[in-house]
Amino acid sequence: MAVACLTLEDASPGETVRIGDVVGDDRVALRLLEMGLTPGSTVRVLGRAPFGDPLELEVRGYRLSIRRAEAARVTLEAV
Amino acid sequence: MQQPANGFGSTGLTVALLGNPNTGKSTLFTALAGIPTRVGNYPGVTVEEKIGRFTHRGRPIDLIDLPGTYSLAPQGPDEQVAVDVLHGRQSGVPRPDAVVVVADATNLERNLFLATQATELGLPLVVALTLSDLAERRGIRINAGELARRLGCRVIPIATPSRTGLAELRDAILTAGIPRPLPLDEAAPTAARTPAARDAIRRYALVEQLLEGVIDRSGSRRSLPEDRIDRLLTHRIWGTLAFAAVMLTLFSSIFWLAPPLMDLISGGMDLFSAWVSGLLPAGAIHDLLVDGILAGIGGVIVFVPQIALLFMLVAALEGCGYLARAAYLMDRLLVGVGLSGKSFIPLLSSFACAIPGIMAARTIENRRDRLLTILVAPLMSCSARLPVYLLLCGAFVPNVAVGFSWLRLPAVVLASMYAVGVVVAAAVAFILSRTLFRGPPQPFVMELPGWRWPQPGVVLERAREAVWSFLTNAGTLIVAMSIVIWALSTYPQNEPQIAADLEGNKAALARRLTDAATPDAERADLAAELEALETPEAAEAARRGAIQRQSFLGRAGRFIEPVVRPLGWDWRIGCAAIASFPAREVVLGTLAVLYDLPADEGEGTALERRLKAARWDGTNRPVFTLPVALSIMVFFALCAQCASTLVVIGRETGSWVWPVVAFTYMTLLAWLGAFLAYQIGTWAGL
Repeated sequence: MAVACLTLEDASPGETVRIGDVVGDDRVALRLLEMGLTPGSTVRVLGRAPFGDPLELEVRGYRLSIRRAEAARVTLEAV
Repeated sequence: MQQPANGFGSTGLTVALLGNPNTGKSTLFTALAGIPTRVGNYPGVTVEEKIGRFTHRGRPIDLIDLPGTYSLAPQGPDEQVAVDVLHGRQSGVPRPDAVVVVADATNLERNLFLATQATELGLPLVVALTLSDLAERRGIRINAGELARRLGCRVIPIATPSRTGLAELRDAILTAGIPRPLPLDEAAPTAARTPAARDAIRRYALVEQLLEGVIDRSGSRRSLPEDRIDRLLTHRIWGTLAFAAVMLTLFSSIFWLAPPLMDLISGGMDLFSAWVSGLLPAGAIHDLLVDGILAGIGGVIVFVPQIALLFMLVAALEGCGYLARAAYLMDRLLVGVGLSGKSFIPLLSSFACAIPGIMAARTIENRRDRLLTILVAPLMSCSARLPVYLLLCGAFVPNVAVGFSWLRLPAVVLASMYAVGVVVAAAVAFILSRTLFRGPPQPFVMELPGWRWPQPGVVLERAREAVWSFLTNAGTLIVAMSIVIWALSTYPQNEPQIAADLEGNKAALARRLTDAATPDAERADLAAELEALETPEAAEAARRGAIQRQSFLGRAGRFIEPVVRPLGWDWRIGCAAIASFPAREVVLGTLAVLYDLPADEGEGTALERRLKAARWDGTNRPVFTLPVALSIMVFFALCAQCASTLVVIGRETGSWVWPVVAFTYMTLLAWLGAFLAYQIGTWAGL
């Protein structure tokens, strides 16, 4: 990839971001989409667990926890 | 054609409850159908099958509680079963006549994702909006009528505490119609590559349209008291402290609250078997019933308090949403060794007893993580190992200070035994996750459900289910196994050989007494012992020892002596290790029998003295030295000498391969650990 885009992993706690895309076409990517992390939706990063992983997100009005490895596959829309 | 397999003929209905996890589906199930009529596993998979029955307006209704699922494009065995049942592809379950989609009103957007998929099933549909009281409290207003019009099926708000909407839901089930499938906007551009991904993106677009004007969040209050508690409980520092407190409470309650109940049960069983014993004449039937069958049953029901307690606590934690938060907090730590955050509670519980711990692994949806957790859970030092550690630490580890005056060596050794289990479990999980269990990355996408009060009905029901499934599935097998082990340690009873064994022992004592090399101090003990052999109790104990030494088990002990020699063990210890296969704590009783102690003095100091006095056959060399004691403790820390655990592993994984794997790897590790402990201990001159 020519330009490294920002991903959900880079977002800091308290930040509200807009999803660009979910990279990949495996079951992990599909599950992230099914849980509501679809392109264009907004996500608020609520925090991180004590050891830095996983992340806690607010997606479509509920709380979702994903690991950093998964968050790295969710690109953010350029602001 | 589907035949009405519900046994009601054509008047009965089969209805499936479909919903995301954490939507109050279990609560709704209990509210509609009460105690399930059928609980078990779907054939061939370890996915729980739960069916209840109720009658409404004269129509009997079978209610199937499907496993929680996020999508009808299934991932994992649970979701696969849900989809198979809905399509009538699951054997043993008829295709449902209607589907109730359970949708959490506080989290409608994601829940409607599944509901819109359900409109494509071609089955009559009703949507139950659960937790609508909570949604109202949060200031979320939902126009159920308009939503129903748009979905093409009835939408009924439910609040289980007040039983609002239940009657209406029952009516709606009887009259539900098949909705027309909601079309996705196929023209909507998406960058997604796979059809399933395109479907998911377009479906959320559809859900947004459906909810446009139907849901009013304008009065939504962002910060309820429970939100503040939540922030505290997921906080890096406070959250971790609170976590430690919760886990300590959970652990100590199974460790301290259960034993009095267990004592009550085993005391009751003792009284009962004494009573039965008095009714029957002495003989083989008496022994089979009392020492074989009743002892086996006692060994099963003694686990009930721990299982019931742990499942109540776990259900309460799950009900209030803390289980997911605990997994969230601990995930990173356990991912490092190839497990996941959800493995924490099963592993912690295994320190009290591996059986409820392994059963608690049911809360891990991911099959790989669950299997790994089950395989390493028995390495946590359970309470059955504690008496073994305590006896050997007390008797053979010198009570000297280590560094500080308050830190005594026996306590350090005791703590090391717990550490050995944890370290080995971490290593095994790490290695297995990178070899046998290597595979594509497993998604860890976990919902942190909103805070709510646990429902007492659900909590009790969960404990009842766990106890029942343990007793019926595992219990019967465990009893059968204990009977076999009992028979092996009691037969054959060859009178001339038993008499020869008894005489041989007496002769050995007499020889040592007259041997000039025997120190005077020991001479007094030997004389007392020979004299004591004349009492009826001691004679009976000596006889029981002789029977066990001559039994199949005793012979097996002598047969495997070359294998246990490198561990520093004599054949009696080997024999006791084999005899402890039903349960580790049995090893003390067996040692007592093998060293000819009367039964009522079997444990505690009498046994300690006897072990200290034990000599290698025909020599004056003590059997039990510090390296031998360490080697026995390490062996019991790592071995799989617990038939009940192995049976439960078999039941929970649905395959006899995994108990065999667990037994094999644990026994090999136990032998290796004991070997190292003895050899290093001897080399270090302990």
